[in-house]
Amino acid sequence: MILISLFLVFFKIGLIGFGGGYAILTMLQKELLSLGWLTVEEFGNIAAISQMTPGPIAVNAATYVGYRVGGFWGSVMATFGVSLPSLILVVLVAHFVLKFKESRLVESCMKGIRPVTVAFIASAAIFFAYESFVDLALPLFINPGAFVIFVLSILAAVLLKMDTILIILLTAVLGMIIL
Amino acid sequence: MAEKESKKTRFKILLDLFFTFFKVGAFTIGGGLAMLPVIEREIVDKKGYINKEEIIDAFAISQSLPGVIAINSAIYVGYRIAGLMGALCTAFGVVLPSFITILAIALLFPTISGNVWVNKALTGVKAGVAGVIAVSVVNLAKKALKDAFGIIIALVAFILAVLFDVSIVYIVLAGAFLGYLYYGLRGAKHDTH
Repeated sequence: MILISLFLVFFKIGLIGFGGGYAILTMLQKELLSLGWLTVEEFGNIAAISQMTPGPIAVNAATYVGYRVGGFWGSVMATFGVSLPSLILVVLVAHFVLKFKESRLVESCMKGIRPVTVAFIASAAIFFAYESFVDLALPLFINPGAFVIFVLSILAAVLLKMDTILIILLTAVLGMIIL
Repeated sequence: MAEKESKKTRFKILLDLFFTFFKVGAFTIGGGLAMLPVIEREIVDKKGYINKEEIIDAFAISQSLPGVIAINSAIYVGYRIAGLMGALCTAFGVVLPSFITILAIALLFPTISGNVWVNKALTGVKAGVAGVIAVSVVNLAKKALKDAFGIIIALVAFILAVLFDVSIVYIVLAGAFLGYLYYGLRGAKHDTH
């Protein structure tokens, strides 16, 4: 029974969660605390672990919560639940968009959505900057060391054409050394 | 013979899709948003499966739909390259490393919580991811912002998302609608001349 509940809760999260893992964590917290499956402190730990381990944050959280609540099969059901809506929706939409790519309706809508996508990804950069080194209040740069890492990662990507995965792993090491 | 050969190539592509997304899932810290530049690098720059325009469409669809952005992107890219089987391979590939890692952590460290070293590493990663994403934005903008209309849409969308915290759903819908009004209807008018 708990396995079905786990599946349904995470299916719901996958079906109505928007805006990436960080936004989904907030949603998940509300949902799980109201079910009484976890305490606030436990959820805090799960949120931290989900962010510091590789992989999509929402998937990490689903696997961890699933395991805590329902053991191995709980983690399978939660992870499957959070992934399934994506599989259904994205395949349907991808099928439709790729099939009617040449149609004026789809093409013109996509032309309007592409700039939004760039803006959204840019807003993700701002989000990470806020999370690490920038603040709207003075003195603006709250963490100069992290700002240096930010600049170095840009230089590594643009000048050295360094592998993106390598850059991200190196910034973790740099963070431990200079922050 | 030729059919056998193409079956073999298809199997190879599916396997490669699985392992590419497994690698993305296994080594990207910072969540799905951090994965977008990594996916772009692996699928477009390194493997050349699809081009820059198509990866923008993949990201556009992924963020316009509910669900985990990394899984959405994986599924769209997988479906675009190799159909339903491709989508299953990429989805499974991007999820499996998380599943294994988290399960191992849950089993080995039942009482784990953040320590100071981990937090430092995480702050470093977030700063680095901000940089990597910024570079990706510039690259994608060159392809996605082709005229003044696109630039205006992007700027307004950016302001709405960052300053006013408007949900991406509404911004995407507005973008699609304005795109139809501007490009679709205007194009139709041109056709009648």
